[in-house]
Formats: sequence, structure tokens, C-alpha cells
Amino acid sequence: MTRPSDEQRRQMLVDMVSARTQSRRMWNLQRQGQIGTMAPIDGHEAAIVGAVHTLDPSCDWVLPQYREPVALYRYGPEILEHVMLYNIGHPSGGHIPAPIRVLPHQISLATQIPHAVGLAWGLTLQDDPGVVLVFFGDGSSSEGDFYEAGNLAGVLGAPVIFLCVNNQWAISTPTHLQTAAESFAAKAAAFGFPGVQVDGNDVDAVFDAVHTARERALAGQGPTLIEATVYRLGPHTTADDPTRYVPVEDLEAARQRDPIARLRTELEASGLWDDTVHADVEAAAIADIDAAFEKAKSTPLEPDAMLDHCYSQDTQRLARQRAGMLSGLGDQDAGGRIS
Amino acid sequence: MTELNMLEAINECLHAEMARDDRVVVLGEDVARTGGVFRATDGLFEKFGENRIFDMPLAEGAIAGASVGLAIAGLVPVAEMQFLGFAYQAMHQIAGQVARLRYRTQSRFDPAITIRAPFGGGVRTPELHSDSLEGQLANVAGLKIVVPATAADAKGLLASSIRDPDPVVFLEPLRGYRGIRGEVPDGEHLVPLGSARTARPGTDAVVIAWSHQVELACRASDRLSEEGLSIRVLDLRSLVPLDLVAIAEAVDSCGRVVVTEESPQTGGFGGEVVATVVEESFWSLEAPVVRVSGFDVPYPVGMVEDSYVPDEDRIAAAVRRVLEVA
Amino acid sequence: MPFVFRLPDIGEGLDEAEIVEWLVQPGDTVARDQALVEVLTDKASSELPSPVAGVVLTLGGAEGDLLHVGDVLIEIQDGSSGEAQAPPTDPARNPDKAPGNAPVASPAIERPASGGRPKASPAIRKLARELGIDLAAVTSTGPGGRITAADLDAAGPESTASPTTPAPPPAVFESSTLGQMTPGRHALRGVRGVIARNMAQSWSEIPHIHTFDELDASLLLDFRTRMQGMGRTVTPLAVALVASARALQRYPLVNACVEDDEILVHERVNLGVAVATEGGLVVPVLEDADRLDVFATTAAVGELAERARSGSLAAADLRGATFTITNYGSLGGRWATPIIPPGQAAIFGMGRIADRPTVVDGAVVVRPVLPFVFGADHRLVDGDLLEAFKRSIINDLTEPLRLLVGA
Repeated sequence: MTRPSDEQRRQMLVDMVSARTQSRRMWNLQRQGQIGTMAPIDGHEAAIVGAVHTLDPSCDWVLPQYREPVALYRYGPEILEHVMLYNIGHPSGGHIPAPIRVLPHQISLATQIPHAVGLAWGLTLQDDPGVVLVFFGDGSSSEGDFYEAGNLAGVLGAPVIFLCVNNQWAISTPTHLQTAAESFAAKAAAFGFPGVQVDGNDVDAVFDAVHTARERALAGQGPTLIEATVYRLGPHTTADDPTRYVPVEDLEAARQRDPIARLRTELEASGLWDDTVHADVEAAAIADIDAAFEKAKSTPLEPDAMLDHCYSQDTQRLARQRAGMLSGLGDQDAGGRIS
Repeated sequence: MTELNMLEAINECLHAEMARDDRVVVLGEDVARTGGVFRATDGLFEKFGENRIFDMPLAEGAIAGASVGLAIAGLVPVAEMQFLGFAYQAMHQIAGQVARLRYRTQSRFDPAITIRAPFGGGVRTPELHSDSLEGQLANVAGLKIVVPATAADAKGLLASSIRDPDPVVFLEPLRGYRGIRGEVPDGEHLVPLGSARTARPGTDAVVIAWSHQVELACRASDRLSEEGLSIRVLDLRSLVPLDLVAIAEAVDSCGRVVVTEESPQTGGFGGEVVATVVEESFWSLEAPVVRVSGFDVPYPVGMVEDSYVPDEDRIAAAVRRVLEVA
Repeated sequence: MPFVFRLPDIGEGLDEAEIVEWLVQPGDTVARDQALVEVLTDKASSELPSPVAGVVLTLGGAEGDLLHVGDVLIEIQDGSSGEAQAPPTDPARNPDKAPGNAPVASPAIERPASGGRPKASPAIRKLARELGIDLAAVTSTGPGGRITAADLDAAGPESTASPTTPAPPPAVFESSTLGQMTPGRHALRGVRGVIARNMAQSWSEIPHIHTFDELDASLLLDFRTRMQGMGRTVTPLAVALVASARALQRYPLVNACVEDDEILVHERVNLGVAVATEGGLVVPVLEDADRLDVFATTAAVGELAERARSGSLAAADLRGATFTITNYGSLGGRWATPIIPPGQAAIFGMGRIADRPTVVDGAVVVRPVLPFVFGADHRLVDGDLLEAFKRSIINDLTEPLRLLVGA
């Protein structure tokens, strides 16, 4: 077993606390009408942060679904800035600049999984170092893309880590209605590579499992499917009401297994954490997200920005539409021929 | 110059592009060891090996989705859908991901992806092998749609498509693979995307067509010239980007237009061409625009196929109608 | 100025919410993100947190009230001004484009000139064709150089297909509209207008004389029958055309007109042949009729008539007649006073051939009789010339074999 160092564990708790703090701030912003729909992170922190801390940002890629980006501090402050741009609906929210090896939010579930396989494959074809870590949920593992991509990854032996964060719910669908398989990890048998289950609330276990998978991949031994078991402690998103379907006693029991509380207790016992540290971390997180939010809100938006970056160069039609938009005449094709 | 059929021209282009740029990789079902079910990729595996051309598992979604990942990694994937009708199995990746990678990431990545697919009728294929989906794909912003009609253009347009930093769906007419031959320039030959060409000059009316219909339109026009009619054929070559200026010039010069395509009429790309003609050249029109197309039914079985796909007779009849002659 | 917090849309398209419970009261000090109120929507019950820190001033409603998205929820004195809203959608403009490779500057869309052809809507083109107007000869006054309906109305006689003839009929024939028009005033325009102008011009400018007569058509009909028996087609109208051409060659002053105080004697013999069609009277022109024999004339007239009836005559077909034949007999008439078209000096009208009692060698017999009339411009044609001209044609019609021997 590969155990993270004390320093790594401390840093991981900083990331986890920051992620939850900022996620809650985003929740409030949504309730204030200041940002759009968001997916809170409560309960997922250890599975995400523990995994990401095994990676080398200078060569490893992270392909998130949509819950994870707030926890990807390891890849730099630009991630949070772009999360806030994304949240206010600014087009540049999706442009995480090179050389940061993180893709933006993927709304269409599981579609990022074949991308991850292609990307990992592309790295090996060019003898580039690095692995690809792709996140998805229990619900996403029912999509065709999961099976097609898993199968392809097995055939290719590509350096991909499939990390299924099983939070027990796909909105209101519990896992026993999602699959009849013994576990999500068991599905790896169909792909020809190992499937591993791990307690997603135990940051050390997650770190160890992902580290092992990374080593396998770097050694050319191919992909791994890791199922990290957690519990979704909050709603699916700001548009969801879990009180309609989550059994209260299950939720209460899950709260007892809160990953932040668990790691905090351990670090406090080692003298690496206390209330002051905790408060400071929360305050710094708030300051960071406030700054990112202000920066996002003051990011310029050209009147024709909507038409940029569909193609590398405007087609004749797009050029007309752009001219129409900029002329303010309301005629979509104002370059045109009403003459 | 060498006389080649369209298949040979495509194969020659793939060889040249793979030799020119190490980043070009080819992937698809049966493309490597057997050289493709039509031999379009013949010889590539022997020359470039198993790290440049790949026999993929039978999973169109994964082929298209993996292409996205390969492009993110900085490669230039040339993916094959064995028949365009089976691209339906990959539509969520083609329309939702391939087409949007640049827009979503605001050009962080160049999705230099080419998706090749044979399509079109007249060769007695089973279901879903001949369907024309170009109208549906043209409505996906972010894709380019390229439709060569000659062997020379197949080589020149494919080279431009592979080198284009945007995703291109490159459609190859089944009937043209061996049925269309012509002089093809040797060496590097590039035809720009978004540029139509006059396949046949004429002054009385213009037939706007693409892919294999161009050949049929030219034959119909040759026949009509014996009756003293001078008919121009405009080969669009690209549906997206569409050459609005060329369409306007062709229609302004004569005011009488026929549009012909294989797809079902409703929602076919022909409607987009007609709308363009009306928008660009309304004041030049002498007669209503006439459309020739497949019927509003799924591509039919072999026994009735020939009545479905527009042929020389139907195109000629449409031209007579637009000229208001018996 | 207080901070105004309006009820946001918190549920992807909700438009109202019920206030369930206030968690603060006016006068309370609140922190940013502190829960202010619990609201109920049809999706869920939610707490709404404060966007600002400050002191609560007023509440926007009582517990149980229904608020709409955008209604004031609460006002808080926070020492600054403004409202919590979604971030402004167009902040300061900045010349820097969005990140990544900005698109290359849009290519200028150069439009070539429209091939030198006149610009007109399809409707105007159709009208022009009906009026026999060549668009290239029309002055355009519409936007962008388009030819308008007014431009067509203003188009002078020079731009019409022929100075004399009414428009070709519409391509699509309607079911009988003969004599149909609704009571009230109508603009005298289009086909009708052209005809009206031409008729008025001719009638006012040309002093008409008319002379009426009949001839025995026995040999004419016999000629047709015997030709038929030999597999050749000949019509009485064709014989009349050839006869007219011969007469015009003999008496060139009849193949002329008065124009601008001059006598214009035409160089060619072009015969206008009036054809009745469902769309109206049409007068296609048989050019150089003096060069055609009776068989060629029959074929040519047949083809012209067919094209006239199918609406496929071109403008050129209606131009340049020097003499006109109108076969109103095909409509059943016997006598008429036809009007000479402008640019000509005479007109030959043929009535319906019908059996009549006639005197031959002192006995009354029944013969097929062709009634006819000649109209002439009395400025050029006096009675003696008219009688001589008439005589030539009567002789040919009475004995068609004369055409074959060139007598």
C-alpha cells in the first residue's frame, strides 16, 4: 500500500475543505440568482482530491464530469477562475489555457470517457509520458460510451484510469436500479482489465488505489477501473430536492462517515490541524472564490463573441451573420441582398 | 496527370498525407490489415505500420470519441465510418463532441479530425448503407461537410480536409468509387474547402448538384444540348462552408435553377440551396426553382432503388420544366 | 441606498415561490450568505441566503404570500448601493478577443454584378412576358435598379414586342373568362390596356375604308380535298395568305404605311395572322411570306397557331407585320369592319364559308360561299387600287391552281 505523506495528507485536507467551502458559496450564489445551476461537492471530496494528488500535473490529464472541477486545485488557480466564468455563463469559461491538462465541464454524461481513451492512446503513440484520469458517476456507467470506451481501452492497453465515483444516486435513481452487476468495478471484466473497489471516503485508500493504477499505466500494463464508494451528502444539483427520495436514516448514517470530518480527526490527532487552521483555510477559500467571481464578472464580452470559435475562420454565412449582429439591424444576414 | 478512379485518388491522397505528416493517423473498422472494405486504405498498414493505422473494435461511438481524444493529444485523426448510415451509432459524439470541441474550449484545441464515409445509392447495398445524411449533418454547427464529385477533387479536397484545423465529414459516393474516373494531378494537389466549381458551362439554366449527382447532371445536360439547350452544372464540392458567391453568380447569369440530391426531399440539403438561391438571387429568377430528390421514405430496397435515386431522365425533365419547354 | 434582493429563478425556469418562513426580521444584522427566508417552489423548499452583509430594512411579503421572480424579496442596508443580480451581460468593451486563436477576420463577401441581366421580381417578369415587353428595354426606377410594375406601365410602345400586336396569352389558360368583369371601376392596364391604346391610335390616325364581297369557294374547298387525297395538307387560310403575298408584291403601295408624314413602303412581306386563343386575340407573324409556297405556308401557320394556343410564342414572333389577315370566320362571323393595326395600310378579313344560294349560268344553285372584307388606309389606297388588289386575291382564292402555275 502506498500511503501519502503527512504533508500530502494535510494538503489534501486543505483542498477538501476549500472545495466544500467554495461549493457552498456557489450554492448560495445560485440561490441568490447570481450563477446558474451547480452540483455541490459535499461527500465527494476525498474521492476526488485523493485521486488527483497521485497525479503529476506536468504530464497527467484530468477529464472531469461536472462536479469535480472545484476540487482540482492541484492543477492551478486558473481552474477556479474558469469554473466561475463557466458559472456565470461566459463563453471563455471553457477555455482552460494551455498547458493545463484539464478539460472543462462535460454536461453530456460519459461522453468524456472515449475522449480519455483517445487522449491516453494519443500520448502513447507519441511516446509522451503521462496517464489520463477520467471521472464519472454510477449513473454514467450505464451509458454506451462507458462500454465502448472501456472495451477500446482494454484492446489498446491505454494508460487510462477510469474512476467511477459511486455516490449511490443518479439524481433519484438508486444504484440497485442502475445495474444488476455485483458492483461497478465488476464491469471491468467485460473490458479485460482489473476493476477495484475502494472506500471513497478514505483519502488514503483512494490515494493508494489510484497510485497503483497510475503505476500500472505508466509501466504499460494498461487501464484500471476504480469504483470509489461515497455517499452524496447534498442534492444532485441546485435544481434537485432529495428529501423526496433519500431515506433520512441513510443520509444520517452517511453523515457519520463524512470524509472531511474523518481526515480532520486524524490530522488533529497528529497535531497537523486545529480549529484555527480550519478557519483560516475556509477564509482563504472564500477570499479566493470571491476574487475569482469578481474577476469573472468583469471579464469583457464582445457583442459578437457568441460567433467566435465555432470554426477556425468564419464561413461566408457566419461572416454575414456576424455583420448582421454587429450592425444592430436585426437582420441576421445583413451583409445581404435586400436590394 | 494520371487517370484514376475516385477510390485510387483517395488512396493516393491518404498515402501522401500520412507520409507528409507524422501526426496523421487512420482509424476505423477493417481499415488496416485488409485495407478497407472498399480498399480505400489499401497499402497504408504495410507502409506505415500498426502505430499509424488501426483496426478498431466495432464501435462507431468509440471511433468518433477516441478521435476527439487523439486530437486533444495533438494528433490528426482520419476516422472512417464504414458506411455513412452507421454514423448514426456515433451521432452523439459527432454532433455533441467532435463538432463542439473548439467552441466549448474556445480554441484551446484544434479538432483537426476528418471523418470519411461512403454513401449514396445505385449499387444495391443492404439497409442503411446508402443513406444520404448530409442534410442532417449540415445542421450541426461546427462541422464541415465535403462532397467531391470527381477523382481529382477527391484527392484535392481530402488533402485539404485532413489539413483543416476544423472537423470535416468527407463523403465519398459509392457509385463513384469505381464509376468515376478522371485525370488527377500528380504530387501535391489541394482544392480549397468552401469553393464550388462549374462542372459544365451553360447559359440557359443551371443544375446545382453535389457528389454523384454531378455526373448525372452533366450527362443529362449533354443530352439536352442536342436539343439546343445550354445547361450549366454547378458542383458545390462543399456543403459547409457553402460557396454563396458562386451560387449567386450562377443563378444571376440565367435565372433558372434545378437542384438535385439523393436524400429525401423534406429537410434535405437541397432546401438549404433553394433558400440560398432565393436569398441571393431573387431578382434574377425567371421561374420557380425545381428540386429533384429522393422521396420522403427511408432509402428503399434494391428492386425499387433505381426509381428512388434521381437519374438523368428526372434531371432532364426538371430542366425542361424550369425552362418551360415541352 | 439599500440593497434590493429580488426573488431569483432558482429552479431552472420557475416563475414564482411562496414565502414559507422568515428567518430574519427588520432591524436584524445579517452576514453575507446567512439564510434569510425559506421559500417553497413546485420543485422544492429552499432557503435563500443573503447576497450582502448589513441590516434588514423591509420584507417583501408576509409568510404565505406568493412572490413572482423579480419581485422584491427583501431590502438590506449594507452601506453600498445596488442590487444583487446576475453579472452584467455586457461589461466594458475590450479590444482583446476571447482566449485561444481568434477567428481570422471575416472574408469580404464580394458579389459579382448580376450577369448584366435586368433585375425584376418573378411576378414582374411574368407580367412583362404577358405584355410582350422586353425587360432589357425598360427603364428601371425601383430600389437597387429593379424594374417595377410602374416601370412596365410607363414602358413606351418601342419596348413592346411589336408596335401593333396585343400581348401573347398567359401560359396557363383559365376556364372561360370571356366578357367577365365585376361591376365597378378597373384600371385599364395590362393586356387590355395595350390593346385599347393600339385600337384608339389606329382608329384615330387611319382613315379607314372598307369594302365587302363574297366569292365562290367551291374550287378552294375542292383544292383542299384533292390535296388531302394526295397526302398534302392545305388550308383555305394558307391559300389566302399566299394570295395576299402575291397581291402585295404586285401592288407595293398596299405593303406600306404612313409614318411621320411620310409613306414607308416595307421591304419585306410579313403577314400577321390573327389567331383566337382562350386568352384572347393573338397575331403571330409569318415572315417573308412571299417566299413560301402554299404547303410551307400551311405548315408555318399551323405551327404558329399551335404555339399561340400553348402560350409559347416569343416576343419576336409578334413583331414586324406589314399586312394582316383576320379569319373571324373561324368564330362564326360573316361581315366585319376590322381595324388596321398601326404600321400597316390594309387588312383582309375572312368570314365563315357557308352554303348559299348563288346564280350560275342563269340558275340558282347552292355553293359554298366565302364572305370577306378589305379595310384600307384611304390616305394611301384609293378605291381603284383597292379593287385591283382585291381582284388579285379573289382570283387566287376562286381558282387556287393559279398559285401553282404562278399566274
